Amino acid sequence: MIKKLTRLSIFFMKTSMIALTGLLVFSQVMFAKDANSQITSAPVSIGIKNETLKASIEKIEKKTHIRFSYNSDDLDGYRTEARSYSNEVLANILDRFFSQTQLAYKELNNGIVIYKKAVKPEESVVINTAILVESPLNANITVKGKVSDETGPLIGVIVKIEGTATVVTTDNNGNYSINAPDNAILVFTYVGYVTQQIAVNKQSLINIRLVPESKSLNEVVVVGYGVQKKSDITGSISSISAKDLQDVPSSNLVSALQGQGTGIDIQKSGGNSHPGSVPSITIRGSRSKSASNTPLFVVDGIPYTGSLQDLNMDDVASVEVLKDASSTAIYGSRGANGVVLISTQRGKTGEPKVTYSGYAGFDRPLAKFNVMNGEQYAQLKKWAYYNAASANPLYTSPDDPRILTSGAFGSQELTSIQTGRSTDWQDLIYKSGFLTNHRIGVSGGSEKTQYDISGGYYRETGIYSGQSFTRYSIKISVDQQIGKFLKIGLSTLLNSSYTDGENANPLGQALRASPLATPYDDATGALVGYVNGSANQVWNPLANILPGASIEERKRLGTFTTAYIEANLAPGLKYRLNAGAELDPEVYGNFYAAATYNNQGALSTANNQSKYNYNYTLENLVTYDKTLGQKHHLNFTGLYSLQENEASSNSFNYNSLLSDGVQYFNPSVGSNLTGSGSYAKYDLISYMGRVNYGYDNRYMATVTVRSDGSSKLAPGNKYHLFPSAAFAWNVINERFFKNIPVVSNLKVRLSFGDVGNAAINPYQTLGGLSTVTYNYGTKNTIGAYPTSAPNTNLDWEYTRTLNAGIDFGLFKNRITGSIDAYHEYTRQLLLPETLPPTSGIPNTVLTNVGKSENIGLEINLSTVNIAAKGRDGFGWTTNFNITFNRGKVAQLANGSTVDISNNLFVGQPLGAIFDYKKIGIWQNTHADSVTAKAYGLTMTGGQSVIGTIRVADINGDGKMDANDRIVIGSNQPLFSGGFTNRVSYKGFDFTIAATYRVGGILTSAVYQSGSFLNTLQANYNNLNIPYWTPTNGQNYFPKPTNALTNPLYSSTLSYFSANYLKIRSLSLGYNLPQKLVKAIGARSLKVYATAENPFVLFSPYVNDFHGIDPESAGTLSENTPATRSVLFGINLTL
Amino acid sequence: MKSLSIYLTGSLLVITLIAGCNKKLEEVPISSLTPIFFTTQQGFQAGLDAAYAGYRTIYGPDSYFEMAVGGTDEFRAGVDGTGALVRYSSGYQTTDGTISGIWKNCYTYINTCNGLVDNAPALGGISAATKAGMVAEAKFLRANYYFILVQNWGDVTLNTSFQSEPTLAASRAKMADVYSFIIQDLKDAIAGLPAGPQTTGVLPGKATAIAAMHVLAKVYLTRGYTVAKQADDFKNAAATADNIIKTAAPAAGVKLLPDFGKVFTEGNEANTEVLWTVQHTPSLAYNGSSTQNNSGPDNLYVHLFVSRYELQPGMQRDVIDGRPYARVMPTRWLTDTVFKDKTNDTRYFKSFQSAWIANNAATIPKDGSGKPKYAVGDTAIWMPGIELTAAQIAKYRYQVLPPSKYVNTLYPTMIKYFDDKRTDQNAPSIRPIIIYRLAETYLIAAEALIMDNRPGEAVPYVNAIRERAAYPTGNVAAMDVTAASMTLDFILDERSRELCGELSRWQDLVRTGTLLPRVRQHNLDGGPNIKPFHIIRPIPQSQVDATISGPAYDNSRLFPGWN
Repeated sequence: MIKKLTRLSIFFMKTSMIALTGLLVFSQVMFAKDANSQITSAPVSIGIKNETLKASIEKIEKKTHIRFSYNSDDLDGYRTEARSYSNEVLANILDRFFSQTQLAYKELNNGIVIYKKAVKPEESVVINTAILVESPLNANITVKGKVSDETGPLIGVIVKIEGTATVVTTDNNGNYSINAPDNAILVFTYVGYVTQQIAVNKQSLINIRLVPESKSLNEVVVVGYGVQKKSDITGSISSISAKDLQDVPSSNLVSALQGQGTGIDIQKSGGNSHPGSVPSITIRGSRSKSASNTPLFVVDGIPYTGSLQDLNMDDVASVEVLKDASSTAIYGSRGANGVVLISTQRGKTGEPKVTYSGYAGFDRPLAKFNVMNGEQYAQLKKWAYYNAASANPLYTSPDDPRILTSGAFGSQELTSIQTGRSTDWQDLIYKSGFLTNHRIGVSGGSEKTQYDISGGYYRETGIYSGQSFTRYSIKISVDQQIGKFLKIGLSTLLNSSYTDGENANPLGQALRASPLATPYDDATGALVGYVNGSANQVWNPLANILPGASIEERKRLGTFTTAYIEANLAPGLKYRLNAGAELDPEVYGNFYAAATYNNQGALSTANNQSKYNYNYTLENLVTYDKTLGQKHHLNFTGLYSLQENEASSNSFNYNSLLSDGVQYFNPSVGSNLTGSGSYAKYDLISYMGRVNYGYDNRYMATVTVRSDGSSKLAPGNKYHLFPSAAFAWNVINERFFKNIPVVSNLKVRLSFGDVGNAAINPYQTLGGLSTVTYNYGTKNTIGAYPTSAPNTNLDWEYTRTLNAGIDFGLFKNRITGSIDAYHEYTRQLLLPETLPPTSGIPNTVLTNVGKSENIGLEINLSTVNIAAKGRDGFGWTTNFNITFNRGKVAQLANGSTVDISNNLFVGQPLGAIFDYKKIGIWQNTHADSVTAKAYGLTMTGGQSVIGTIRVADINGDGKMDANDRIVIGSNQPLFSGGFTNRVSYKGFDFTIAATYRVGGILTSAVYQSGSFLNTLQANYNNLNIPYWTPTNGQNYFPKPTNALTNPLYSSTLSYFSANYLKIRSLSLGYNLPQKLVKAIGARSLKVYATAENPFVLFSPYVNDFHGIDPESAGTLSENTPATRSVLFGINLTL
Repeated sequence: MKSLSIYLTGSLLVITLIAGCNKKLEEVPISSLTPIFFTTQQGFQAGLDAAYAGYRTIYGPDSYFEMAVGGTDEFRAGVDGTGALVRYSSGYQTTDGTISGIWKNCYTYINTCNGLVDNAPALGGISAATKAGMVAEAKFLRANYYFILVQNWGDVTLNTSFQSEPTLAASRAKMADVYSFIIQDLKDAIAGLPAGPQTTGVLPGKATAIAAMHVLAKVYLTRGYTVAKQADDFKNAAATADNIIKTAAPAAGVKLLPDFGKVFTEGNEANTEVLWTVQHTPSLAYNGSSTQNNSGPDNLYVHLFVSRYELQPGMQRDVIDGRPYARVMPTRWLTDTVFKDKTNDTRYFKSFQSAWIANNAATIPKDGSGKPKYAVGDTAIWMPGIELTAAQIAKYRYQVLPPSKYVNTLYPTMIKYFDDKRTDQNAPSIRPIIIYRLAETYLIAAEALIMDNRPGEAVPYVNAIRERAAYPTGNVAAMDVTAASMTLDFILDERSRELCGELSRWQDLVRTGTLLPRVRQHNLDGGPNIKPFHIIRPIPQSQVDATISGPAYDNSRLFPGWN
């Protein structure tokens, strides 16, 4: 019986979507009535007397707090009949009110607009005659026109002659007609829009475009599992509009978010800027050492696990970043790192609107790496060989001619020294990259159906040959009202992308190639393999540029589809099924010919990978909304959801290809086929309940409880409960505050909650074996041995956050902003613990160890410095944000305060840098010699310490050893943020967007051992640094020596101040005047030019050390350098 | 009523959804191997293969080579032998990556062997004899890993059973306990293994009883010099070696080759003198790195001895002469003193390259009339191994370098590991590496007898090796030595002549307490820098840093010279 039930339930689960759809269609038949949406579907209980219509409306207004907008003259003369309504849908009440009138209503911007139905001309004249009578002294003309916003005509806009009671409203098509004195001033008012005044000035046609009130308190903000009015928000949320994003044209959304909000830290991973790379993003610092610090992305309500490169940022309508526990707790186990909610554009009721936006431009490296030229390199080599000579000196000085013939220099190098030839390898490999982006969209809809369709094309080629990223995208969304109680919608994002040369990094070779050598053989002119004089370790970087020599292709198909069915089951009670599915198959292949720097003349190699991922989410949501008495507003949201993710992949390698032309497509023409594969699946089951309670628009409280069960954790630890609570007080709505005109908004928020993080890989608690190949003569075998230990005690990582915030607006919201302070406490920190090698377990073991803490302060400020008066006026606005975050490890589980192998130090941030402390260079002085001798340091021969890096004997034990390492800092900034200034005048607008970072240490691998760019060994070219010589007394950089692969303590050379101010973009745009735009039959047209990354300022790394770009999450490497681009674009609406 | 039924249906649906979905939280790994596999019959075989494969991470790559060959009286640093370890300079510290890698790999594969030994009793589906043989192999391998550890580090952690629980603590065992454990393992191995590599059915590279005996003799010998010594260690060493030579070897078909040179002939790694090899294969998918890029556990010995001959006139890099990693160069003591007799003793020219054949027409020097002095295919460089006068040298068209002209970029190359079957001049070797061979057994016997104060008995063992060295052109009688020569120093010199470059020298010098004087005397790079604490490897900093539970794991107790 039980078995039967289980099978039955699985059947139900599998068919849940189909079943629910059927059910809801059925319910639609039962409740079929006229369409309407959100507000008007709210239930109202009210007693209406036989009274004026106006009185009834006011009564409803008071009861429901729904704002009605109307011209009171329109309501004159109408009355309502006495009737008691109990839990009646508002729409029904209004329908009854207006059934015998010339009036109609429409829900707009969270309010209801009442307007006169389109009237026949003769009726209009009657009304206007009356107006004429009221203003007999002026010459009257009939002014006509259309009122619209950026999306289309506005219905029900109130047009009033200033100083009179004369009012008309716009009709269904946004048209109005008013009889007005020829010198009158027309005032256009509309809920949610800035009121505009226009002088008639004898014009008979006045078309006007209203702009939405930005920062309006009625602005709706997307929150987890719903939307909320901004004034009702209790948590800490950064909202970023599409307009803000478009200030910085980027290939991906994350790049565009940089510097746009507080607490959002976005930096290029390793400084890498190759086409198609997505930067790393953290919200409010790092709290986890091993579990991911990447926030959860939610697109149109469904968790998104795909590549962020797949999202066309032009399709994004808004981005909300949820930061505190109250906002994120409803995402439970995935909320700890913050949540980024992305809403894509949806259609709106109105005429079809066609938009086109596009840009094209080019980019160049921000700067070249400062490596030596031929002459400098020759000198370095001489010093390196001179310094390397052992105890009995081989050479008299660096200029000893015997060094030239010792084998230190290659034949080509010797020729170059004689002829003064020098090769700049960077010039040979860099080229201009090309960027272009196009999007065309159509959107519109009727009362019942709205649609938005767009197609996009993005292409970027890199600054090296063979690098590019191309994306084709299509987005379709449809919302359909079915009857009165049912609404369905679907949105699908489809894209296919092609990344070429994602690992191409000829710089590794180009920067190390001897500038005294050339890419071509002096005698034959053919491309050489190993570059002359580079110890046969540097391969000609130009070899990869030959057609077909180096191929790296990633082809990806991304589909992300979300659908919903929403049913109004009863007044206030709604059920919603959200379903989302993501499929993103991907193939990757590479082929490198033998004569490429990848294979350096050995076997040609090929690799072919394919991946198949799916991810689906099913959410059952129930919401209940009720207003009790006059002032109590209650909203309940309940959720049950299931998310499943499956990823499988395989990869095969082969080499020694019969024909290079086969590339990575056919292993049968290669040899030594090897391969690997993987399969992983995880599930997350969640239950969530949330109650929002509001009293009189003054006090708001939110309580959330979520329970998550994850398959990734061991039995017994799978489920956990995540509670949170928040409170907000709209001080501005208090009666005692009404008389302070300076303050236009004031709200205080407080929240507290627990969120989790289990962003670990599936099967990680189980332990594992590694495989290894071996042979006994001709018998080949594959061995397997234990390398990972199981940990069945693995538990969630929890973060508890306390957040206090204040939102304010001053001088009629000319100055708005918010300040948030928070304290995050993370416990059971997930850590891949490095075990002592003697444990016999070589791989790290994921364990819950210790606690970490983040405290921070975020300030966000927007000011309208000069408000523009119309299109021609001068306007200037500023957005500024700053974030202070202090993170530290609070406790380690085993009671120790120092865990060196895992780089954890109690009291220090997670990115602590533990190393020797460099105090200078051992000088060629008596004093230093005596000291060095006392330390037992080698003083003679090629490995003498004189001229090498001197580190501090921290513990003072008279020895320089590993016990002298200390925490010398961290990558955590003192503060960071961004600002944007916009200036507009006569249709021109100029935008400058910048990010900055102050404090913390930048680690640049370019200067240390791993990059081989600063070895000072002179086996290959070096950064052009003023190295130590016995006479120059240099106290920063050590001496060159051929006897060491890298200078001792070379890591101490890689730490720099991380300060910078980076101008992200400068953009100049021009909105063409309406007349011109009209002439070409368009609604609006804007052209612009943008310079991206034009300047990096105040960076010691750039200014003092010739660094290129100080921006990097983690260690900066010599991969694709940052670029500067110039783009020209156009935005057109038809 | 209708709406009520909807609620009911809806609730029922939600409940059934929840009930069905909880099963979804169970994890079933498909593509990866989990610890349970290790306890199966298939896993047992795979584990044993992995335990063998572990030796590829020790013998073949750079690290253990630098530890065993560089920094001795035989080899000093070549131009690219830039590690501080081979020069004993102050840059040689506990953070040295060379030593930490070997340390870690030994313990990882010891744990594999421990698992095999521990899991064996419960293992079904396999015959008792097969199982016993496999356990004996595991013990042979485990003993060798521990022998590497104890020779380099002295008192080391002794894990005698499988460790599957993570631990952050570790402690060092007494050297005596480690040696006892090794000896027991080897005795068990001898009892359970097939006789020798030539025994029918024994695959190349497999552990055999004769190899285990050889190691046992060497272990006794080594322990005899240490604080952990037992009274009969040298006796046991001599007896074990003698037993191999007189009884076990003949029985197993193991014997010295007549020609020293043939021992190292490419493709002849399974010759009758060989006791144990670490395997490599031309089937690149099963070799260290399938792409031949020297990154995996590859056999790099083919590169490491090679000087920068390619920069010389008439030369360019080729497969035959090898890729110049130039890690080490022979000391003048090795080339001139130890191999003073290059006539009767044929081993010098069978161990070192003395001529390089021109392969690059473009760089052949031209005479006064503009004609190339020699052609491709002619000798370009010659190292006669003896001093010549300037006048004599001037007679040659090509470059001639007597020992006084050796520099760290150009010197005689050790050819024992040459491999011209590689796919490319830069590719690693595909040859198996000989770890133990019978010739060493003779020298172990001789050394043990000398240390046991029976030098006279050592003579025949030494002479057996020396006489073979005369083959084919030398005077055999002139190679013979007498009891008067039977000193430890002579044995060490003889070991150099026979075994130079064979991955044991540093340990030999440490064993015999001669590292400091010999390096100071013969090694120009290390001599000025070497200090008494260098006779032991420091505990790697990665071990010190990671032991954060329990007592500190550091170097202070035994070797205050190290931190």
